[in-house]
Amino acid sequence: MASNKKYWKSEEELYNPALTEQLAAAEFPADSESLFTASELLLQSTQTSRRDFLKYLGFSTAAATLAACEAPVIESIPYVTAPDKLVPGVAAYFASLYDDGNDYAAILVKTREGRPIKFEPNKEAGVNSGTNARVQAAVLNLYDSTRLKSPLKDGNEISWDQFDKEIVEGIKKAAETGKIFALVTPTINSPAARSIIEKYRSNYNNFTHVEIDAFPTTRSLDAWEMATGVRKFPFYQLDKADVIVSFGCDFINGIHGQAVESDYATRRVPGPDMSKHIQIEANMTLTGANADKRIKLRASENTAALLSLYNALARKMGVPTGKNVSTSIDADINKIAELLASRKGKSLVLNGYDNKEAEQIAIAINMLLENFGSTISLTKRNNLRAGDDRKFAQLVDNMEKGLVGLVVFAGVNPAYNKVSSERLEKALAKVPVTVCFSDKLHETSRICQYVGALSHVCESWGDGSPSTGVVHFMQPTIHNIYNTRQWQQCLLNWLGIDGSYYHYIRSLYAGNDFNELLHDGVYKTDETTSISLVQTPEVLVNVQVPKTSSAIELIVYQKVSLGTGELANNPWLQEMPDPITRASWDNYVTMSRADAEKLGIINRNVSNGALNGSYVSLSVGDRKIDKVPVLIQPGQAEGTIGLAVGYGREGMGRVADGIGVNAHILAGNAHVLTGVEVNKVDGEHEFACVQLHHTMMGRTIVKEVSLEDFINRPAQDNGRGWNEKPKFETYRGPLDSKETSLWDEFDHETGHFWNMSVDLNLCTGCGACVIACHAENNVPVVGKKEVRVSRDMHWLRIDRYYSSDMTEEIAEEQGLSGVKKFALMEIPSDNPQVVFQPVMCQHCNHAPCETVCPVAATTHSSEGLNHMTYNRCIGTRYCANNCPYKVRRFNWFLYNENPEQFEINYAMNDDLGKMVLNPDVTLRSRGVMEKCSFCIQRIQLGKLQAKKEGRKVKDGEIQTACMSACSTGAITFGDVNDPESRIATLKNEERMYHLLEEVGTNPSVFYQVKVRNLV
Amino acid sequence: MKIMKKCVSRLRMVWVVLCVMLSSLMVSAQDLPGDPANGRKLFNAQCAACHKLDRRLVGPAMAGITERRSQEWLIRWIRNNAELRASGDKDAIAVYEEYNRSAMPAFPLLSDQDILDILAYTIVGDQPASPAGDGPVTTQAPAKPERGLNVWVLAGLSLFLLILLMILVKVKNTLKVIKGEEPTSVLEDFSKGVQVAVKNQKLIVLLTVVVSVFLLKELYWGLMSIGVEQGYMPEQPIAFSHKIHAGENGIDCKYCHYGAEKGKHSNIPSAALCMNCHKYIQEGPKYGTAEIDKIYAAVGFDRETQSYIEGYEEKPVKWVRVHNLPDLSYFNHAQHVNVAGLECQTCHGPVEEMEVLYQYSELTMGWCINCHRETEVNIENGYYKDLHDKLKAKYKSDKITAEMIGGLECGKCHY
Repeated sequence: MASNKKYWKSEEELYNPALTEQLAAAEFPADSESLFTASELLLQSTQTSRRDFLKYLGFSTAAATLAACEAPVIESIPYVTAPDKLVPGVAAYFASLYDDGNDYAAILVKTREGRPIKFEPNKEAGVNSGTNARVQAAVLNLYDSTRLKSPLKDGNEISWDQFDKEIVEGIKKAAETGKIFALVTPTINSPAARSIIEKYRSNYNNFTHVEIDAFPTTRSLDAWEMATGVRKFPFYQLDKADVIVSFGCDFINGIHGQAVESDYATRRVPGPDMSKHIQIEANMTLTGANADKRIKLRASENTAALLSLYNALARKMGVPTGKNVSTSIDADINKIAELLASRKGKSLVLNGYDNKEAEQIAIAINMLLENFGSTISLTKRNNLRAGDDRKFAQLVDNMEKGLVGLVVFAGVNPAYNKVSSERLEKALAKVPVTVCFSDKLHETSRICQYVGALSHVCESWGDGSPSTGVVHFMQPTIHNIYNTRQWQQCLLNWLGIDGSYYHYIRSLYAGNDFNELLHDGVYKTDETTSISLVQTPEVLVNVQVPKTSSAIELIVYQKVSLGTGELANNPWLQEMPDPITRASWDNYVTMSRADAEKLGIINRNVSNGALNGSYVSLSVGDRKIDKVPVLIQPGQAEGTIGLAVGYGREGMGRVADGIGVNAHILAGNAHVLTGVEVNKVDGEHEFACVQLHHTMMGRTIVKEVSLEDFINRPAQDNGRGWNEKPKFETYRGPLDSKETSLWDEFDHETGHFWNMSVDLNLCTGCGACVIACHAENNVPVVGKKEVRVSRDMHWLRIDRYYSSDMTEEIAEEQGLSGVKKFALMEIPSDNPQVVFQPVMCQHCNHAPCETVCPVAATTHSSEGLNHMTYNRCIGTRYCANNCPYKVRRFNWFLYNENPEQFEINYAMNDDLGKMVLNPDVTLRSRGVMEKCSFCIQRIQLGKLQAKKEGRKVKDGEIQTACMSACSTGAITFGDVNDPESRIATLKNEERMYHLLEEVGTNPSVFYQVKVRNLV
Repeated sequence: MKIMKKCVSRLRMVWVVLCVMLSSLMVSAQDLPGDPANGRKLFNAQCAACHKLDRRLVGPAMAGITERRSQEWLIRWIRNNAELRASGDKDAIAVYEEYNRSAMPAFPLLSDQDILDILAYTIVGDQPASPAGDGPVTTQAPAKPERGLNVWVLAGLSLFLLILLMILVKVKNTLKVIKGEEPTSVLEDFSKGVQVAVKNQKLIVLLTVVVSVFLLKELYWGLMSIGVEQGYMPEQPIAFSHKIHAGENGIDCKYCHYGAEKGKHSNIPSAALCMNCHKYIQEGPKYGTAEIDKIYAAVGFDRETQSYIEGYEEKPVKWVRVHNLPDLSYFNHAQHVNVAGLECQTCHGPVEEMEVLYQYSELTMGWCINCHRETEVNIENGYYKDLHDKLKAKYKSDKITAEMIGGLECGKCHY
């Protein structure tokens, strides 16, 4: 008798048959053709019949064959007068400076045939010499054809002479009538610009200069002004800190302008000297994700928590405590106090919220811990933030009262990020002359009478002093593409000073060889400042602690990709997946799972795996955002929501406009907003999220060990070590993957053998490497719709994994079934530990992709590289399917020279945009596979240089784009056959492991185990 | 007829006048105690960089100088004009001012007789060139396989065979007549033969195979030649002759194409680089001033004033690219020219013999690979230190080719 037993494929099938049926029915989605065609609508509306199709096919084949017989005539146009020392095909580098008011970096501009094509960090420039993702991407904005092309008056083009003349008249009239002449700029760190502004101050009694920062630190600066007498942040020295306790300070994302990443990284090397980093915050920030310990705390409790920490320390040291407070995390605070007290003078407490009281207490704690003079410099200050939003608010008041005669906005966008554009427009209507310098007709410039078309950094002269004692120089590397100018030049003209801004800067550094300064890009002076603390800790902590409420609070933050939105029209940045949420092309409300469940908000994966999420409306008083999607964020403090700035733009260009919502509409210029009303609204948002799994599901994709175990226990110890190699049972006993291989070995003893090490302990997930790879390798941008269907083209991705409350051990204890166990393992903890793992082509020496290619388009080289030959590829995609690391990217469409479909990818589809392409790397066509090449063009160039000079390749001479962009030194590339090289040492480290070693691919990329300082 | 006569008489008049003028010139040349032949040599060697007989260059035109200035003055000026100027000679200072104070070098080594010879040459000028000597440069067609000879040989052979056939037919018919049979015509024989052949299936099959193999071979080569532009010889905007520059004048390739040693591209020289020589060499042997004027039009050089025009909008020369590699293959000149030490001619052919440049090599991948298989690596280079010993051991050979160091790997050229 046949058995009538029914087998279920999953628990879901047993308990929820309706869902299973629904899923089974949708096995082949109805819109399956849309998986392969660009637009389903386009396909449906087409009139082409099958016969027509065959006719076209026949004709085009014949035409193509005929056309192929005759080569097109290609013209080569040499220079009439070749610039000195410029050799076509050889890159020239110029030291310069990137400063957009929010990001500041000393850079090297790589130019080819006179075109800037890449920004590299100027590692010899000392302070702020690392580049983040935004700085790496900024070179593309030079070739944005939606930039303003000439100065405007009332929307019509005028000449610069006319522009200058009319504004000089305006200045005169303002002086005559005694009305205010206001200049609004970002924080001025440039000595030259400051000296010009000083001239205005002495020439005009009615002149006022207002500095505003796009992401304000007004109130925090108030605290420093009170405590030290100068409205500046101090210079933090994270390399001297054993313990870093950060209260919501996203310092890795450069929230205070100072680039502390590299200093931070020097103390994150595992060993007895490794620093301990504790983060207490509401949003899951990049810095929080890197912390050894992260504690969730509502922003409204931040001040209380700081005071509580102060009190705990004060009690220990026997000094008077502040007001008595209690917080929800007092137990943790006490432990932290214990730790801090043991590391007096070697610790650092940071506050990240723009809150005077919180900052004051943080200063007091650092004073108590004697950190001034060690982790906080007493001789250097950070010059990058000095903005005062209240001064600007006062200026707007004065405008409304009709007291302002002339206002000049230079490089700022207050209508977007300070006051509502309606209010500013009304206020500006009462100012006789309004001027805005900007590169776009954006929120502010469109409501000003005169618009000065601003030059890009690559077209400008300048200097900048990020901190005391250091000056960097900005030099143009290309002639103005459009009829643009820098605002400093206009300020000079209006003063009646002859000559260019260049001559002006040069005169300030007379006595030095200016060409040498420009060549180095840095000028180190022996200027020092002495910071005296004018207030005692007791006075500082004597503050009102706000009462806690249960109302939902909104914390606005800067996304790693867009920052404050200066570069919003940059498709590389828009498509860069957020390191934490892994979503691109969006901003969204981040919310804890508990809050989401309360509001009935869901995040779900649809049939093709893509993520959908509910919408909410946000309102505070009369300010309202009607519809914004929610992304459930593990680690978000309950009762808080996060929303990124930089989105919801108007007039920034075709890429940025209409994406996301403007957080400033609600928050104005505040960081934290309490009492936000959140309501679910109808509809589901389609996210473009590149990572569908949150956890590692019990696998050891990222290996992690506590510092204690790392120091005290062996890496390999018969299966109990922290870095065990997978063993396979064979008739010869357990063997590791290398010994059980069926493959023939390649010869990697002769010649080079290129390897890469990725230190998971140093990787902060900042994504600079992702953008550097974009720029270096002509990686296309595909747009939100394509990213959503997992067709993003990034050669290098940074996987992010959350820890889960469920582990193998717990499951065993509780006796959970396999299905249940894995289901629970898939859910991240409410406050998870986070790890980042950059994954690029692993250049396997037993590569699964190579064996399955039917046309040998992907082959192995004698130098250990896995080559990809585009012109040989026929697009079977077998290789991608056989790749265990999923690093191969397929050109589903023609991404270049295809403006109809991929207009947003202007780096490849716009005549000007194409100037940014790297001429040494081929543009890939439709239907071919591509992937990380280990920057083979750089390897070949490095080898050629060595051969030309008749010497061996030096270690560190050849750097991949990702390695050179990495501020923390997480990525190291080199030749392991050179025994002196760094990479050879790293390969023998006991932290070294290969990703998915058990599959036996023997990759050339290896990782270093992450170590968490849990002591 | 009348008109004809008039013309003839006019021509005769002109001839007479010319003869008179020439003889008078000869006379005045003979008057001077100088040798115009030696003068010509000296002029070309010492003066031609800045002077021409018939027009102004850096300095004034030289024809008729002896009529404008006295012999003594000229000798003093040529020997050391700075000294003459220093002595306060008004004429000398005026000349110096007129020519933008560009100082003429002193020639202390020229003897008085040398100077007189040069002056004699300025009077006589260039003798009409003998037609045999400086004939126009013949254009040389690209080196294509010589087909003409083969065709004639084939034609002769077939004619011979035809005659042989006719003789044989005659012999056969004669034999038949002797045997007492009816002689048959060639056509009859042929049609009979065809009938037999058509019935022979084996022959038909063989023929079909032969024909289809031939057709397939033609098709294959036809397709393989798509995109191969060997022999491509486009017309260039300036009739630049490599034969004159690289061949006759022996200018080093890398003087103009200086990028070949340094980087990826062997650059096309800028027009300003042409001016290094063509500021002085203002006339070519074949096209006169026409082609060189195109350089002047690019850089804005005025032939009349012999100076660059200020504020001139430069007009770049749009050369037609001859060697086109597709985007998908990376080629670096420095690697081949500088590191491997290849001669330019290895790939570009006898450029120094090319009146018009053409693509000499196939530039196909097979062609590249073939060379990489055969070419030995220069193991003296410090980069290969240690490496070549390992390679020798690995390949058990003293000959290390580009292939052995990975020169055939896809990713070396395709990325």
